Amino acid sequence: MTVRVRAEQDANELQLPARPAKLAAAREYAHEAAAAFGFDADRCYEVAFAVNEAVTNAIRHGRPDAHGCIYLSALADGDRLTLAVRDCGTFTASAAASTANGEGGRGFPLMARLMDAVQLCVSSESTTVRLSKARD
Amino acid sequence: MGFFYISDDGTVDSGQQGNDVVVLVAGGEIDYSASPQLSERLSERIDGGITRVVLDLSTVTFIDSTAIGALVSAATRLRELGGGTLAVVCPEENRRVVRIFEIAGVDSVIAMHGSREDAIAELATVT
Repeated sequence: MTVRVRAEQDANELQLPARPAKLAAAREYAHEAAAAFGFDADRCYEVAFAVNEAVTNAIRHGRPDAHGCIYLSALADGDRLTLAVRDCGTFTASAAASTANGEGGRGFPLMARLMDAVQLCVSSESTTVRLSKARD
Repeated sequence: MGFFYISDDGTVDSGQQGNDVVVLVAGGEIDYSASPQLSERLSERIDGGITRVVLDLSTVTFIDSTAIGALVSAATRLRELGGGTLAVVCPEENRRVVRIFEIAGVDSVIAMHGSREDAIAELATVT
C-alpha cells in the first residue's frame, strides 16, 4: 500500500469497511503516512497504535456510512502530521467511560499518551477523532 | 487481517493438588479482531477450574486496549474466584508491548515477568 501525505485535506482519504478484520489495514495506512512524513520507526508505531484505537472505537461504538465504511485521512501541516478517523455516529461519553479495573475505557488515555494531541469533533452527522504528532 | 495465534503450552505441576499452572502462548498482533479469541480461551480455562495462568506474550508484536481489557477482566475474575493469578510474560526486549502495559497502568492487576521461568516460579510461591 502506498500512502501519500498531501497538504490538501481529504485528498488521500481511505474508505475502510468497519470490521475488526480491517484493523491491520488501518494500522498499515497510518504507519505508511507516518513514515512518508519522516517519522522514525518508534514514532510510526505510536501513530499506528493510536489510529488502531480510534478505528476500534469507531467500529465498536460508532456507526458506518451506508456502504458500511468509516474514513481515514492523513494531513501534513508544517511540522505536524494529523490522522483523522471519521464515522457517521454521534459520540457519547459512555463509550469512553473508564472504570478502575474495568475492561474498557483505555483507548483514549493511550491515544493521548502516544500522540501530542487528540481532538474529538462531534457533529449531528459524524464523529471525527484527530490524532496529531509534531516533529521534534 | 493481522497474524495472531494462541495455543496451550502445557501444564506445570505445582505439587499441590488443584493448583497446577497452565501456560498459554499468544503471538502476533492482538487487536480487536483477535482479542475476543484471547478472552474466550482464558474464560475456558477459568471455567474449567484453573486458577493459575501464565500467558506468554514474548512473540506478540502488537497489543491494543481491547486485549489489555480482556487480560484485566480475566485477572480480576481469577482473583475474585479466590487467590487465582494471571501472570504475563513479556521480556524487556519486546519494549513496544511492555511499554503499552506500562502506559495502560495495569500492573496492580496483572503481574508482568521477563521470562516464563520467573512467572512460573512466582506462581509456585502463591498459596
